Amino acid sequence: MFSAKPVKPTFKCYLPPAQTDRKNSIQPPVRLEPEFLPGEIVVNDVNFVRKCISAESSQGDLWGRLICTNFKVSFIPQGPPPKQKSQLSHLLLGQHDISLTCLEQVVTVNDTRGKRKVLGSNQKLKFNPTELILYCKDLRVIRFCFDEAGPESAKKVCLAIAHYSHPADLHLLFGFEYQGLRYHKYKGDLVNGSTPRGGIQTPAFDRPSDWDREIKRTGASGWRVCSINEKYAISDSLPEYIVVPVSLTDQDVKQHSPSFTDGRVPLWCWNHRNGSALVRMAGPADPLTQRKTEQKIFTAITKSHPQRREVTLSDLDKSLPNIQDIQSAFVKARQICTLDPFEESEERWLSSIENSRWLEYVRTFLKLSAEIVYNLDGKNVSVVLLEEEDRDLNCVVSSLVQLMLDPHYRSLNGFQSLVQKEWVMAGHRFLDRCNHLKKNDNKESPLFTLFLDCVWQMTNQYPAAFEFTEFYLTVLSDSMWIPLFSTFLFNSHKQCAQLLQDFSKNKAIPQGEDHTVIFPPVWKWSQQFSTRDQTLFNNPMYVGKGAASVQNGEVKSFHRSKKAFSSTVRISSTSQRNGLKGEEEQLQRRGSLVSELKADFSPVKDESPSERFFRDWFSHPADQQGVLIPLVLPSHVVLWKLFFLRWVPEVCIQQGGPATVYHKVSQLVDEIESLQGKLRQYKGASPRSTPVPSPSGPSLDQRRMYFKATSPDDPPTTPNILNSSFPFNPVGNLCPRGVQGTPISKFLNGAKTWLSTETLANDTF
Amino acid sequence: MEKSGSIDSLGSKPSSSRQPSVDSLSSTSTSRSDRSAQAKPPSALSSDSVSTSAEFSPELRVKPKAAAKKVHRDSDKEEPQLLPNETVQDMADDITYFCPFTGALRGTVMVTNYRLFFKSMDREPAFMLDLPLGVVTRVEKIGNTSSRADVSYGVVCKDMRNLRFAHKQLEDTLKKSVFEVLIKFAFPVSNGLQIFAFEYGQVFPENGWKVYDPISEYKRQGIPNESWRITKVNDHFELCDTYPSTLVVPVNIPDEEMKRVAAFRVKGRIPVLSWIHPESQATVTRCSQPMVGVNGKRSKEDEKYLQAIMDANAQSHKLFIFDARPSVNAAANKMKGGGYESEDAYQNAELVFLDIHNIHVMRESLRKLKDAVYPNIQDSHWLSNLESTHWLEHIKLILAGALRIADKVESGKTSVVVHCSDGWDRTAQLTSLSMLMLDGYYRTIRGFEVLLEKEWLSFGHRFQLRIGHGDKNHTDADRSPVFIQFIDCVWQLTRQFPAAFEFNEYFLVTILDHLYSCLFGTFLCNSEQQRLKEEIPKRTVSLWSYINSQLEEFTNPMYVNYSNQVLFPVVSLRHLELWVGYYIRWNPRMKPQEPIHQRFKELLAKRAELQKRVDELQREVTNRSVSSSSERAGSPTRSITPVQTFV
Repeated sequence: MFSAKPVKPTFKCYLPPAQTDRKNSIQPPVRLEPEFLPGEIVVNDVNFVRKCISAESSQGDLWGRLICTNFKVSFIPQGPPPKQKSQLSHLLLGQHDISLTCLEQVVTVNDTRGKRKVLGSNQKLKFNPTELILYCKDLRVIRFCFDEAGPESAKKVCLAIAHYSHPADLHLLFGFEYQGLRYHKYKGDLVNGSTPRGGIQTPAFDRPSDWDREIKRTGASGWRVCSINEKYAISDSLPEYIVVPVSLTDQDVKQHSPSFTDGRVPLWCWNHRNGSALVRMAGPADPLTQRKTEQKIFTAITKSHPQRREVTLSDLDKSLPNIQDIQSAFVKARQICTLDPFEESEERWLSSIENSRWLEYVRTFLKLSAEIVYNLDGKNVSVVLLEEEDRDLNCVVSSLVQLMLDPHYRSLNGFQSLVQKEWVMAGHRFLDRCNHLKKNDNKESPLFTLFLDCVWQMTNQYPAAFEFTEFYLTVLSDSMWIPLFSTFLFNSHKQCAQLLQDFSKNKAIPQGEDHTVIFPPVWKWSQQFSTRDQTLFNNPMYVGKGAASVQNGEVKSFHRSKKAFSSTVRISSTSQRNGLKGEEEQLQRRGSLVSELKADFSPVKDESPSERFFRDWFSHPADQQGVLIPLVLPSHVVLWKLFFLRWVPEVCIQQGGPATVYHKVSQLVDEIESLQGKLRQYKGASPRSTPVPSPSGPSLDQRRMYFKATSPDDPPTTPNILNSSFPFNPVGNLCPRGVQGTPISKFLNGAKTWLSTETLANDTF
Repeated sequence: MEKSGSIDSLGSKPSSSRQPSVDSLSSTSTSRSDRSAQAKPPSALSSDSVSTSAEFSPELRVKPKAAAKKVHRDSDKEEPQLLPNETVQDMADDITYFCPFTGALRGTVMVTNYRLFFKSMDREPAFMLDLPLGVVTRVEKIGNTSSRADVSYGVVCKDMRNLRFAHKQLEDTLKKSVFEVLIKFAFPVSNGLQIFAFEYGQVFPENGWKVYDPISEYKRQGIPNESWRITKVNDHFELCDTYPSTLVVPVNIPDEEMKRVAAFRVKGRIPVLSWIHPESQATVTRCSQPMVGVNGKRSKEDEKYLQAIMDANAQSHKLFIFDARPSVNAAANKMKGGGYESEDAYQNAELVFLDIHNIHVMRESLRKLKDAVYPNIQDSHWLSNLESTHWLEHIKLILAGALRIADKVESGKTSVVVHCSDGWDRTAQLTSLSMLMLDGYYRTIRGFEVLLEKEWLSFGHRFQLRIGHGDKNHTDADRSPVFIQFIDCVWQLTRQFPAAFEFNEYFLVTILDHLYSCLFGTFLCNSEQQRLKEEIPKRTVSLWSYINSQLEEFTNPMYVNYSNQVLFPVVSLRHLELWVGYYIRWNPRMKPQEPIHQRFKELLAKRAELQKRVDELQREVTNRSVSSSSERAGSPTRSITPVQTFV
């Protein structure tokens, strides 16, 4: 099995491969068994596989068994587990596992013959691969070498991985296997546990009561729940229950429906306390009747406004990039962050990031959303978001606007309900946009990722305003690539309902069982993480409702002063502007001074009302529980490093990064909570007995913080686990510390790790 | 326990009412959060370019009188409170200030021997601009003198902004414009006047001139020891007039020999110790370039001296010489008699060039950066515009150099010699940054002050020349933002290691503001010798007097003093960021970020309060158990009530 030939330098090895006593280092094979989920079966496997940690040397590489199952690609390393483990331990996937749905591209290489091939479904491979490179949707890049593995088995595994990562049909996704078995296995618990909806607190918005509660919460007195779309009678992509102006009868709604794409009548999203409403709307299906219908709808919306304000229409298709633009920006950004050779790309890093346009798009969405906030909050008018299909851009903008205006959505549960309401139920095509079936690349677009990035920008600018952390946002984005949750698998709720009906029938699940029980959404986090790991979602800095100046979810708005426009300012600015021209000419002649002062000579312009609104807003300290407006200066929309760079070992700051702040604040908050616990114990203790609170305060599982307070006597030590990738660990990309030497050698040599993958990425077939 | 609830904050409720207009003076953006705990909302952001000086004006903070006055101030009578010995030189009405963010404003200008103060009642609250004259690079009259049009003046500042004013043509041609007066006082050195620092007579509780004592700093490092000694050979600056009087050199080199080494090093700046590793004894030493010249001159004494530095560290048989310059520049210096150590002449030494560019390149880079950020950032191409300034690239090279030095010393246990050409610009950047990475002491507030006093001030970074205090000659090629770059690098480190520094961003911004303000004597003159001659410590106030008298303002609440933590930053453009809190702070849309510090302080207060309550209850319980055991039968209900009141 072991090749007797010396290993030749290959195109990706810049140093001669170490001719180490490899035979000695490989122990006689022990059974390397992966952990299987219910319904998971091994399709193919191969032993003596080398997982590459660095191209520099094979020293840090891991040896083990590579397995393809119907759910994941698994690598079982031999020998003791590495010291540096990922902080977050996933309950469904091991450190070296990749779900098949998470595979972006499967590439096989034969370096001696100089051949490479991107593998699709049901394809043939004319050469024996010496190497397999997996490009993942979560931005990991993982390389396996088969130099000591059986060539035929290696080939089979590669083909199996390619095949199983391209499922022919949605119901072949592993979730449909897994959830059925899980249901029957835990049926008893599910039935006996009287917790409704499987204990999930996030409203699904698939029943009228969820919408009713939302109407009451926002005080939307001009709006009502309408059940005209029950059984999807008027639209396939709308939820069964929608909220419409009270002045429209069910009959009106039904009558207007055909005028809109896919029968999507305008959909209420949210109400401001001042009465203005946020509404989303699809484009016209029938241009002839459109005008009239639109007019009627707008009139109805106006009637629902307490001051009968005119409606403002915002055409998102005209002001935002389209889904292909967004996809290509994301692909470029991903390429720059994870594939481009590290050192070479340093020099042009900033302009490369700019050229990807990703940050520009993030900014554009935030900016437009802020403009809509101005309309709703500052101008007190209702806004209708218009998008041709009302299923992509509208999802991003409507949810961002609500996040900015309503602190409820900045809580963990509120945020989840927002995603449920504006994405899942509003019919965002998760199946197509995620391209889970890898069938139609031109429908793929990372709208939801874009939204998460926008949210991250907000959390970055207002770190105390959100109940959740950036770890939560990252984990949420990763969850898109695990096909076990109903949240990200379907194009509409109708599709979800139908498939789950068939599924129930096939799996002998009683009719009428709740969807969230038989096929839980991602919001049931206990599927993926332990209770302790879920505490990583809690932002210790969050200023919750307790501190709010706002009651009952009411949103505070800033009242602008009447003196907003001082006439003297206007007069002086216009009168001076005339004088400026001559001076500018004067300047031109003065040479060098021009460049330095020119900027100041840009005509002094009057502020627009919205500029004035923003300036006014920014001149006050932000109320964490009030309206939040993002800073959209180009300098303030920055790359989301945890998301884009967490797997790049060269960029990992050891014992530094934002996690060190998180650690420090968590400990303090934990201390506060344990003091509060003690106080409660004093309070609750009966007067007769002597109450002695336990020294540790509340029991561990009650504590919300991931990092617990240490005793004041302990010397401060930075936990070694803290780094800028925390709680993730670039295992598979990161070399265990100490093997490759000092940080500086890593800094200087790191580039080469990525050379080979770069070469590949540029290769076309 | 509320399951998903958060900790309610104490006093985090932001006030929504407009603040008295004095608050519009609060200016520096980011670090405000640290101060806003004192209920100072950043309302200033509405008015754009608001000066730092009034905010920083020590007497506003130190004198309780000023603080009390703040509460009931009529904005109509709003004038800056003058500093001790600050006198009004001229005033003028009907001046227009062209605010690049919000438009033209009409108001009054006052010029003192320290500041320019502009105030306009066009806005509510009143708009004010308060500018220490020290920040002025130059004032240009732009108006056309022959016509009847307005006369306008451009004021170019060292702190990343340009201001423009205009007034009507003066009727009385003999009367000087207020801006002529400004020019006179903005450049006291050129006009035979005194820099304001010599007049400012504020007394602070602490004397900042005592912060740095070389002997005790070397003692802290364990020096003298068996290999290194303190020499007094430069006591009267005879060996080297740009070095401090106290130097640390290898034990086995006698003072006599040092003079011959000095003859071989440019300006006599011989290699001397900056820092020694407490365990490995590997050292960081600094010097100027050797005078090799085109003929490849050698010096036996210099070679022996470097050998002695290597020998002083038993752990390694190598010595690394880090030449900060690009190799081309180093070679070009041979034409002027300088050059670099040849590895033939210096056995066991390895020479590394760090490719850091010279002061002229850095000056140009900052100029471009100013163009890119002030007054407004272009909506498109921000990142490529930033890239074309090369500012972050220079920051990266400096940090990368310092990282290599720190890595050699810490991981390689090898001693290093650092030099550039003269050894007072790039060398100072490199030694001080690597020391900051290696030694946690320098990451404390006082330690950082010592670091600046030692590596920058005493070793002769030419502040007077690089900044041009009070000098109108703005085209002077000696000016360069070397020190600003260093502070920027420090800020980058604080970004990567947010808990590793005792000081906050406001501390760094304050240092840069007073680098220019000429309020304190700290950054005056070019060398220790000059400072002694001018009696700076006697005649001026140290910046550290001001800072150390209110440390709370400058403290990072999240600081953890991890013992022996060496910082290895990731020196990549992926992590380096533009310091928006400094370079873009004049932009009114630049909202203070980082309420993290403020939030953390609130949490600390909350903890203290809870701890107090728990302690009280504990005491209550103890007392009760004592009393109840004795008089249980007597008063059964007595002990309940106090507990209840706390809930």
